[in-house]
Amino acid sequence: MSAGCQKTTSRAIPGTRRVIINDAAHMPHEYSTTPGGTLFSTTPGGTRIIYDRKFLLDCRSSPVARTPPRCLPDIPGVTSPPSAHANNDTSLQGHTLETLNNNCNLPTEKSAGEDAQFEMDI
Amino acid sequence: MNNKFDALKDDDSGDHDQNEDSGSPKECEKEESDEEDKEQNTAKKKTVVPGAGEHPLQYNYTFWYSRRTPGRPASSQSYEQNIKQIGSFASVEQFWRFYSHMIRPGDLTGHSDFHLFKEGIKPMWEDDANKSGGKWIIRLRKGLASRCWENLILAMLGEQFMVGEEICGAVVSVRFQEDIISIWNKTASDQATTSRIRDTLRRVLNLPPNTIMEYKTHTDSIKAWEDFHGLVNASGGR
Repeated sequence: MSAGCQKTTSRAIPGTRRVIINDAAHMPHEYSTTPGGTLFSTTPGGTRIIYDRKFLLDCRSSPVARTPPRCLPDIPGVTSPPSAHANNDTSLQGHTLETLNNNCNLPTEKSAGEDAQFEMDI
Repeated sequence: MNNKFDALKDDDSGDHDQNEDSGSPKECEKEESDEEDKEQNTAKKKTVVPGAGEHPLQYNYTFWYSRRTPGRPASSQSYEQNIKQIGSFASVEQFWRFYSHMIRPGDLTGHSDFHLFKEGIKPMWEDDANKSGGKWIIRLRKGLASRCWENLILAMLGEQFMVGEEICGAVVSVRFQEDIISIWNKTASDQATTSRIRDTLRRVLNLPPNTIMEYKTHTDSIKAWEDFHGLVNASGGR
């Protein structure tokens, strides 16, 4: 009893559980849960590709997410396609990014995206 | 591509104006424009595909931008500028590529909108996917639009709404004294769906409990638009 470390017995990983949904009433009330109560990446009605906000924001910093899109139309004041500035300066692309506040390079941007949801008055 | 944009939703701010236009497809996405000619509803055939190692989305989406030209337009320029297709994406990474090269809605000037719709669904009431649908509208005081829009579209792209195929797209409308965000769904009469969307909106936008959320069917929007234009024509025409 006084032996500090109790040994825990190991258990098998629970097998797959299937939950059949026949009625909307069987759906959980919380959106973050699935029938059966565990968070799965699949939902009734078939597998759906679900991402939460944090995951999506994390993807923003990946190198592929930072290359400019192909064929971005140049809408002054709205979009900033790199081709529109290509004749100015090759280093301008970095500037272009910085002028748009959606820059993904800035660490501050990232933390801003991560912080708790804001309070607001409407 | 279909050029009939005459009832592009624009009722949010309460004023209705000329909306005829074309979102001329970009030549470089040719498969996409062909696609749009053929299919109005949620395109099953994917035109953009996720790149290697990218995170696919449940659906492909298209960004649109529209802006009301001040004054009485009808010039080909305003026609051209009213709505533009910015581009389509199929993965999380492709989304960020567009988003990071677009201004935030809160920094837009004038009477303008960003639309993010599933690929193949046009941001207009008459689209097959929208015609029996409606939208939740939330009016925001100035300064909140960028943040709310980002949270809204991330929830949509990440399939947080849990309403199957019901979501059509989202819109942020920058207006003079307020901004409006809305999310469109297919079946206005499906109350289980619309309430689920409302509850998810509250959650993902972290809305205070007293926030006013309004559901509006597109049928009502069209009616209001027609009434308004009927009045304009009747008084202006004679």
